[in-house]
Order: sequence, then structure tokens, then C-alpha cells
Amino acid sequence: MATDSKQFDFGFRNGRLRVAWYALLAVLLLVGGYAMWLRLQGGMRSTNLTSITPWGAWVAFYIYFVGLSAGAFLVSTLANVFGIERLHRVDRDALFAAIVSMVVALLFVWTDLGRMDRMWHPFAWRQVTSALSWEVHAYVAYIFVLMTELYFSMRYDLARVAERGTGLRARLAGLLTLGRRQLTDESREADRTWLKRAGIVGIPLAIFMVHGGTGVLFAVSKARPYWNSGLFPVIFIISAVLSGTALVMLLYVLRTRLFDGERVDRDILDRLATLLAAFVVVDVALTAIEALIAIVSLHPHEVETWRLILFGEMSWSFWWFMVGMGWVFPLVLVSKREWRRTPWLMAVAGLSVVIGIIAVRFNIVVPPQIRPVMEGLPHGSYFPSAVEWATSVGMMAVGLLLYTIGAELLPLTPLDGGDH
Amino acid sequence: MSSNDAMPGVPDTPDRAQLDAMVDAEQADPRAELEDVDFSTELGVAMAEDAKAVSRGEITSEEYWQRYDDLAAEEFGEVYHETPNPAVDHDTAQTIEDDVAESLSCTVGSMASIAESLEEPAGDSEGASEDGEDDDHRWGMVIDLQKCVGCDSCSVACKAENRTPPGVSYNVVMEEEHGEFPNVQRTNVPRPCMQCENPPCVQVCPVSATYKMDNGVVNVDYDRCIGCRYCMIACPYGARYFDFGENYDDEVEGAGEITSPEYGVDRGEREPKKSPVGNVRKCHFCHHRLNRGEEPACVETCVGDARNMGDLDDPDSEVAEMAASTRAMQLKEGEGTDPNVYYLE
Repeated sequence: MATDSKQFDFGFRNGRLRVAWYALLAVLLLVGGYAMWLRLQGGMRSTNLTSITPWGAWVAFYIYFVGLSAGAFLVSTLANVFGIERLHRVDRDALFAAIVSMVVALLFVWTDLGRMDRMWHPFAWRQVTSALSWEVHAYVAYIFVLMTELYFSMRYDLARVAERGTGLRARLAGLLTLGRRQLTDESREADRTWLKRAGIVGIPLAIFMVHGGTGVLFAVSKARPYWNSGLFPVIFIISAVLSGTALVMLLYVLRTRLFDGERVDRDILDRLATLLAAFVVVDVALTAIEALIAIVSLHPHEVETWRLILFGEMSWSFWWFMVGMGWVFPLVLVSKREWRRTPWLMAVAGLSVVIGIIAVRFNIVVPPQIRPVMEGLPHGSYFPSAVEWATSVGMMAVGLLLYTIGAELLPLTPLDGGDH
Repeated sequence: MSSNDAMPGVPDTPDRAQLDAMVDAEQADPRAELEDVDFSTELGVAMAEDAKAVSRGEITSEEYWQRYDDLAAEEFGEVYHETPNPAVDHDTAQTIEDDVAESLSCTVGSMASIAESLEEPAGDSEGASEDGEDDDHRWGMVIDLQKCVGCDSCSVACKAENRTPPGVSYNVVMEEEHGEFPNVQRTNVPRPCMQCENPPCVQVCPVSATYKMDNGVVNVDYDRCIGCRYCMIACPYGARYFDFGENYDDEVEGAGEITSPEYGVDRGEREPKKSPVGNVRKCHFCHHRLNRGEEPACVETCVGDARNMGDLDDPDSEVAEMAASTRAMQLKEGEGTDPNVYYLE
């Protein structure tokens, strides 16, 4: 077990890359910040939303990041609950990414409120029959579970950094141990036990409440037949797990290369890529079933909505992004064993899915709001405004910044390489 | 009589003397009229003159009746005593027969008691009846589609009454054409908020800002609504609108100066970032008008008298009878929302 000082320096290996990366984030944050100012000043008028299409890009990104979070979390449980030892190395990364994604998701849903100043109202007044009311509480509980998990997963290494590291990292690590600085094997065992317990609470919370619940939020809308199906929340969860796996794979390659300066473990990569392939297949199959049921029902609203997705003016987002980048391209990349063991190819596959699932989310949110709920009411037409795009980029940059700072300061890679 | 710059088609107003002469010419001679009946002409003229004096405030009502009660009793005999006089007989409960009152849909009672009962709902409108608690009505609307001509005046009256901003229209008329020329049919379906018995919007609101009042109207609490728009997603009738904060400032000077006291709350001038801007809005059956004993603006204005407002819980009310007729239907009955707006096919 090597404990040279280099091991406690988890930041970028390459100083110029660090500067470039933070400069890019700064630009994105400036653009996003300006757009956010426009949104705050102009209110919801700064969007392209209408009363026919009241939910748009912000809602799509909100469910996207909720999904990303739930997916990343479930990947982390593969290691610390289901005992897939190999994946221990990505466990904290997945947890931290899950927390950051959730923060970004809440930023999006906050920005989407007509009255942002009333964000606290759901905690003061409730409605038992409202999925959204339940969701808000589930999100808070979920973030709490995630932080608990990350704490128990990382506490031992935090204590080591606090003891042997230097500077800001050591001080921060000392604070984050919350006073538990023992480096004994018993304390480590206690951590693992509690980690598993929190994971067991977290799994149903993530699957059924957080992401399944977000699917339910849509599925209960009887007025929108496209959403109103029992399979819908299930697809939500599958696509969440898919995007989460892809994100973890991408982060693993990038961070190992750029931060840890180590060789990427080909076995881990292979395992993640195989999982990814399985999730793509399930996602495709369930989506096809859903579409088939909808179209064969001949319900005019369902048929019209699917016609819109497949052949409408925004069908490029379905074919190129959802089918192409989300499903076909990554499936091709993970089809050969040799490719599955090639880090940069897998990073590309991960990125492709992570982008493709954005289109999945947009194609969930927008299409059923184009055809009006009643014949004779005006049809909708929606493409996000510049302010919506720029604020979205800004909020994602906040997420990237949080992740980067965390990756620079926290021992997200187990200090003993994850093999124990 | 007319000047050159008079508006074409608009008649000039005659001067006062001319108007008075016109009235005099139309007025019957009281003496001639009274001479046609068996009773005393002199007494009739004197009572009429003094009645004018009462209305001018020169003598009081009591003085008047002191002067004439006995004289009139003498002149008219038994009949005079049998006819209740609301001005004198304060304890007499009513002035007309029950069945006559019903046929005229009049309220029955002495003038004073009716006046009192009229004042009550108006005076209380900010308190008890805001929640509809004191209200045992279940407000419902029946729209006769055969009478609707698709003139959209209901939508216009609604906009004027509720002062809704651009993009917000509590009432719309959904117009559809069927068939091919020359066999074309047109259906007009006015669409207010259905005030559903089982409202999906209420079900989904995460902060209970929208709720059903006892009188059947679905309320939106603008002070609580966070503007998440989930209710708009859930409404099967597209009856909910988001207030994006737009204004008619370019079209009308001082467009936002006056707002409607929706749900009995006067919010004053319309300002950016002040509710209902950023909230979801919808038709509320002109709740503020109902509280004053008035019909909703759309009902009042309807040129074809297609819209009817009333109490669905009262089986004798017109709307209850219409809603029970074989022609009655609700929009999207399969949704299970059970709207309180009925249509007559």
C-alpha cells in the first residue's frame, strides 16, 4: 500500500489542462449567469413556453439529471451493496456524481417555477394526492442518503488524508470526517456496514421514489395519454440506469487518465460496457413495447403524438440523438471485446449515451404538449429560447464545476486502488 | 338642428325644452284618467300630488299616511283593508300571492326584509362566502349549443370582466367546421373552466394552492401557487393558463391599472412579479360576481341566451332541469372528472 505524498494530490495531472478547463467553465458560467439574470428580470416571458406547452427544456433537463443521479447511484450500489468488488473503484465517483446531478436537477426545477421566491412552499403546504408533492420530499431524503453513503464510503480515506496530507485538502478532509478519524480496521468495518445499510435504504428510494416517482408524476396525467401508461415509470428507471452507467463509465476513464494518471482497469471498463449494452437493449425493447401499445390503441392523441415524434419537425431529435447517439452508436462501440477494453472508445460511448438520453427526456416532455388536449384549441409549437438554452448550459456548468472541485479536493478514487 | 360635424348615423340630442314637451305630450291627464273609475277623482289627484311631495322629501311618508289612510279606507271600503300596504303594515310578510311571486321569479317578503336579504351577501362577500362556506349552492353552468352562434362575445366579456392579460383567456369558443363545401356544418363549443366535481388539477397541485370550494367552484390561491404548471398538464380541458406577465400596454393606456377582484380578493394594480403574474389562472365562474348576486359576465352577455347559471343542487332550478334533460352532456365524460358545466346538444 503506497502512501507517498503524490497519492494525496488528486487534482489534474496537467496544469495547463486545469487552467483551460476552469477557463471554459468560467465562460459557460458567465453566459449562463447572464441568461439567468435575463430570466429573473423577464420572468417566464423569457422562455418560449406557452399555455399550450407549459413544460419545456427546464423540465426535460430536470428529469434528465434526476435520472442521471438515480442511475449513477444504482451503479454505486453494485459495488457497495451487491458486492461486485471490481466496481469499488468507481463507487465514490458514482455517488458524488449522483449528488451533483441531483443538485443540478433541483436547480432546473427551481428555475422552472413561475414564482421562484416560493420554492419553500412545498415544505409548508402539501397535497397527498400530488406526485410532485411527494417527489420534493423524496429528493431531499435521497440527497441525504447519498451524502450519508458518500461519507461512509470515503471516511477512512478522509481520515488518512487529514493525517498525512497537506494544505486545503487535509483541512477539508479533517472537517468532513465529522470527528471520526480512527484508522482502525474496526472503524473501517463499521463504515462498510453502515454504507451497506444506507445503500439498502437508498435503492428503493432511488428506484421507486426518486426516479420511478418522477415517472409517476407524468404517468398519472390522464389528460396526456402518451404519458398515462403503467410502463412509463419503468422506462424512466431503465433509461435512468442507462444514462447513469454511461456517465460513470465516462467519468471513470476521464478521471483515471486526467487526475490519477493511472492505467484504466480494462476489466472494470469491460464490465461497465457490458452493463451498458444490457441496459440499452432493455431500454430499446421497453420503448418499442410502449410505442406499439400506444399506436395499436388507435387513440388519436397517442397516435398523433407518436407520429409527431417519428416524423414531426423535431423528429431529428428522435432519430439522430435518441436512436442514434443513445442506442445504436454505443451498441456498436461495445459490440467487440477489444473495443470494450479501449478506454477512449468507451469514453466516447459513454458521452454518446449521456447526450442521447437528453433527447429521450425532451421526447418525453414536449411531444404530448403539442397536440392540444381538446380539438378546437390551438396547437402548440415549442423550441427552447436562447435564454432557456443558455441558462441550461449555465446550470450544467455549475454541476461540472462542483464535480471538478470535488474531484480535485476529495479522495474519490480509493487510496488503495479499490482492491481490498 | 344638426351641425355639419355631427357623426353620421348618430342622432343629435334635442334641447331640454323640446324633450320636456315630448314628455308632456305623452303624459296622460290624471284627471281624465281618474274620472273613468268609480272612486273619487279629487282624492286620487291629491294623493298623487302629495306622493310626489314625499318623493321630493317635502313631507315624510308617515305624514302622508296620517293624512290619507282614513280617507282611503273610507273611499275604498273593505278592499282597502284586504290589500296589504307595505309602507304602513310593516308586519305584513308579503305584498303578493306566493304563486304569483313564483311565476315572476320574485323574492317574497316585505320591502324592508327583501332589502335586508339583498344586502347580506354583498356585505359579507369578503368574509364567509369567500370560501363558499356559507353557500349551500353548487354552481353549475348549462350551455345550449343549439343557441350558440359562435360570436365569441362570451370570451370578450370575460376578458373585459376579469381583465386577463395577453395569452390568458378563461373562456374560449372552440369552433370547428365539418364536411365539405357546400355541405358544411359548424359547431361552436364555448369552453370555460368545467369546475369539475373531481378536478385533476386539485389532485396534482403540490402545495394545495388550487382547491374545490363548497359551492363547487375550483379556487386558485394566488398567494400560495408556486407556478409549477402541473395543473395545466393535468387539466383535460386546457382550461388553465399561465400568466407570463404580459400586458396590453401597447394597445390600451393604463391597461393594468384595474384588476378584477378574483375569488373576492382585490389585488390592486397589476405589477411585474406580483401575483397573479407567475401563477396559473383560470375561469372561476366570475366568483366575485356570484357573491354580489350577479351572473358571470359570459352568461349575462350571451346574445343567444345560450348560457345559463344556477344551483345544480336545487332540483327546481333551471340549470338542474336542463342538466337532467336527455340533451345534456359533459365534455370528456370518460375522464371521470364530472364537470359542473353541462352542454345541451
